[in-house]
Amino acid sequence: MLQRILRPSVLRPVAALLRPATAAFSTASPLRNLAQETVAPATPAAPIATAPIETPAAVEADPSISLLPLLRLQGAHYITVHINGFPFLVTKGDQITLPFRLKGVSAGQTLKLTHASVLGSRDYTLKGNPYINPEIFSCKATVIEETAEPMRIKEKTKRRNRHVKKVRSKHSYTVVRIKELEVLDV
Amino acid sequence: MPVNAIRLVSKSQNGVGAFVLQCKRLEFNYCDWAGSSKGMNSFLKNVLPKFAKENPQIEITVAPRPHRHPIIRGEYINGREKVICVANLEHNQILQKADLLRNSSGLKLKRFNKPVKSENQSVRGIYSPFHGANWQI
Repeated sequence: MLQRILRPSVLRPVAALLRPATAAFSTASPLRNLAQETVAPATPAAPIATAPIETPAAVEADPSISLLPLLRLQGAHYITVHINGFPFLVTKGDQITLPFRLKGVSAGQTLKLTHASVLGSRDYTLKGNPYINPEIFSCKATVIEETAEPMRIKEKTKRRNRHVKKVRSKHSYTVVRIKELEVLDV
Repeated sequence: MPVNAIRLVSKSQNGVGAFVLQCKRLEFNYCDWAGSSKGMNSFLKNVLPKFAKENPQIEITVAPRPHRHPIIRGEYINGREKVICVANLEHNQILQKADLLRNSSGLKLKRFNKPVKSENQSVRGIYSPFHGANWQI
């Protein structure tokens, strides 16, 4: 279902021009108040862990793609990528310290991130349900390193009992850097 | 659009264009007499040639360190070094330690607070109460 909300403030700049005293104070620009669009593919939401991404049959068949060129032409973009189900809002060049260790990767490898729920620019936002069609964007990340946190020791004990149990934790983390974030021309 | 001030300090963006591996040197020290070096000796004969071939950008040195436990010493581009004692480990475990040194940067281990670290300006701009749908003159 395509929602196109035309807010009443779009008409306000026109009214402001008719009143010379307030024309200088009009700050709402027509472009800024255009619709925030939602993408709702026909297929139902799939469980994240098991099923692949459910997308419409073709990108062209999706009616909400009409504003995509406007989104694409804006300067800066951000994306909410999902890695192993964890969402991260990133721009190009950002460094993500994942709260887990990615298996089977080593420093220097490039990952292609395909699960994204939100892709936005300054005035336009594309939301997926639950994910955006991966043919619309290209998001790649480089694995920078695999680190760990410093060892932390949790001491567990009860009152009036001299026995102290020490639990050690040293979680490993994978650090990736977003090397590319592009809205593609579809 | 916000005005960009002149940027005097360059951003570190290893990985955006090209990726430079932070580990520049690995030194493997073994001992012919110590029993704790048995796994290391087997690693050096059987596993190390393949590891070295896969990592041509790392300078790999093998040197005896008599009457001591076997160690792997890694040197990094930021000048720090990490040393791991691999006494009494099997050759596959020593390979895991070598991969650990290869895949890390030389930074000291830090606590994990926030996942995303960004030096970019916000895409949607700073909040202003005077811009937006609800502002009425």
